[in-house]
Amino acid sequence: MKSPLIPYLALAIILILIAIFAPFLTPYDPYSQDLTNALKPPNVQNILGTDRYGRDIFSRIIIGSQTTICTSLVLLFVITIFGTFIGTICGYKGGMIDNILMRISDVFLSFPQMVFAIAVSGILGGGLLNAGIALAVIAWPKYARLSRGLTLTIRSMPYIQSAKMAGTGTFAIIWNHILPNIAGSIFVTAILDLGTIIMELAGLSFLGLGAMPPTAEWGAMMNNGRSMLQTAPWVILSPGFAIFVTVVIFNLLGDKLRDVIDPKNRV
Amino acid sequence: MKLKIFVVIILALFLIGCHKQQVIDNKTLVYGTMDYGVSMENTGTNPHKSYYGWTAIRYGLGETLFKFNDKMELVPWVAKDFEYLDEYTVKINIKENVCFSNGKKVTGESIKRCFEDLIKNHERASNDLKIKSITADDNFIIIKSREKVPALINYLSDPYGVIIDVDEEEKDGIVIGTGPYKAVKVTDREIELVKNENYWGDVKPKMEKIIVKSITDGDMLTMAMQNGEFDIAQGIPYLTLGLFTVGTDRFKIISAETSRIYQIAFNFKTPELQDLNVRKAISKAIDKENFTKVLLNGNGSPAVGPFPKNFSYGDDFVNAVSYNLDEARELLKKSGWIDSNNDGYVDKNGKNFELNYLTYTSRPELPLLAEYTQDTLKKIGIKVNVNATDNYKSFLKSGKYDIFANSLVTAPTGDPEYYFTSNIIKGAVGNNGFYDSSKIAKLEKELHNTFDVKKRSDIAIKMTQEVLNDCALIYVSHLKMSFVIKSNLKGFYGHPSDYYEITAEIEKQ
Repeated sequence: MKSPLIPYLALAIILILIAIFAPFLTPYDPYSQDLTNALKPPNVQNILGTDRYGRDIFSRIIIGSQTTICTSLVLLFVITIFGTFIGTICGYKGGMIDNILMRISDVFLSFPQMVFAIAVSGILGGGLLNAGIALAVIAWPKYARLSRGLTLTIRSMPYIQSAKMAGTGTFAIIWNHILPNIAGSIFVTAILDLGTIIMELAGLSFLGLGAMPPTAEWGAMMNNGRSMLQTAPWVILSPGFAIFVTVVIFNLLGDKLRDVIDPKNRV
Repeated sequence: MKLKIFVVIILALFLIGCHKQQVIDNKTLVYGTMDYGVSMENTGTNPHKSYYGWTAIRYGLGETLFKFNDKMELVPWVAKDFEYLDEYTVKINIKENVCFSNGKKVTGESIKRCFEDLIKNHERASNDLKIKSITADDNFIIIKSREKVPALINYLSDPYGVIIDVDEEEKDGIVIGTGPYKAVKVTDREIELVKNENYWGDVKPKMEKIIVKSITDGDMLTMAMQNGEFDIAQGIPYLTLGLFTVGTDRFKIISAETSRIYQIAFNFKTPELQDLNVRKAISKAIDKENFTKVLLNGNGSPAVGPFPKNFSYGDDFVNAVSYNLDEARELLKKSGWIDSNNDGYVDKNGKNFELNYLTYTSRPELPLLAEYTQDTLKKIGIKVNVNATDNYKSFLKSGKYDIFANSLVTAPTGDPEYYFTSNIIKGAVGNNGFYDSSKIAKLEKELHNTFDVKKRSDIAIKMTQEVLNDCALIYVSHLKMSFVIKSNLKGFYGHPSDYYEITAEIEKQ
């Protein structure tokens, strides 16, 4: 029996709400240092303990959810829109435009993704924006390829031919007839990708190429606690667990959504 | 049957393959360090280049004419003694039994050629030594200076003064020294040395081979040391030092108070920082006490000036502004920096006060200082953008920084003049803040012409106080240098100079 979609959707919504309302949910100022309170293990006042600057880790994880989840969502939105736009144009128009854009996407696909992202953010310099650009650069071809393939299938459908004969313009056909038919698959792919994007963003921050100090970001927090794995494990384990839980929730949600949306699974 | 034998052989091979761990015998010493690397400019052994002399002396390849004892006083090494013939001329007598690792005897003539090569190639050395001429005989050299250089012997005992055989060409970064070990392989990541069979000293080297490995990550170093891969580890993060003392007797911690300092220099080219009140306010916002206690884990002492307390011109004789956030805010207000739009940052003429903070990561505590400063300056309304990169040199060159934090040894030659000539006076190589003070220039001239040690100390105190009055730099902490060694290692000592490490006495038991 398949487990229902609702619990995962609820959990994902809770996570997103936490991220949106993070500033109102933190018990302490996540950025205020208090060296006299440094490296306190989890206790009643600081339920996840404090880091080496005396900042409350629980507050930093809450505020970090904003950085990590919201940035990933925005990034994913941009990548999906851009990739899908390129893909549908290529798929529908074909010819020279298709050849040029697809060869460009081939170039991006020919590099190992994370290595390429590290190289790009290394060149652009640290910072969340630059890390986002680096990830966008490597991720858009996937959506362009997918939407191009789907568009190619739909392009030859009778209803598209009819629309063409009725004199409908290119963009109207793409907007009214192609996009609604490919949106489901693109959406499921995007949700399934969210976990990966969160991991990659945190990965870049962990390497010091993403969020810059003192920004609370889960990957960067893990990096800060790296040297304390043996002496103050709560500093690294808490953000690590936050990443784990979030990625699992979004991955499971993606799986369930695919079950629901994909017509083949409905049969 | 054949199949069984085949399976056993494959299994045995597999197990052998799995056990591919470096074998460390009792005659090989493996040393993991964070102090060797390209960013430290010491990846070679030729002392006449950059800071390569530190490598030569640290790892037992080279020796200088004189060395420093634990009180940083000069004692003979390759040289026997010295005497000033006049204020410009010094005669140095050489020990008769010293020889290079290639077996050649060290003579006055070979030292003369070495020093001529040094002043021709080494930027700092030629500035420090101001040598006019060198005359040599078999057992002595006479150095004439262009001007008075009271600290000449101290300067010659700097690692750049390591005696090498310049007749033998440098090959693959390897030079011939007089130390107990000689280099056989030098790369950016590793140095391999073997016993110098011709070593002249009374104590003969006890190890056959020394392998020095550059480690860039403190955690990697910690875990490798825990795993027993190194006999000595230098640069283990302070936070994890406790792992080597609590509940184990496999390791020992060797510590030494050094003149290494964490300092923050203001860039005087930044218009906002030309205001003394602003510099004073920033200096007042740094809580050195807590930084040292918490973020350095107590492995140091809060600094006042560049020299530690145990120096005759050290912290006991100078005063700096004290930590007080309210007074810091007041000072900023006095200079017209107020938060007019309530965004948490002070502003003037519609522009927020923002500073670019440059530092590097190869000293693991520098990024901590950066993040701490960022927070504490935010409390007085200054926004700090941190750039912690090991590519800091290119930023220094381009001038894209308002504050530069670094770590350096202030008195490697036991004399105060080195610090001022290389970091404080106008145009000094390490004067990254472009500080320029006519008073300092005058005092430096005086220091430069004074031979009396007591008087030199007094002038150094005045100079330090002048720098502190100008708030040209913030001296944050003096570092305690710590090594973790295996308990079976004997003859390894920490030295306040920061560069005497591998000696002939080291042995494994």
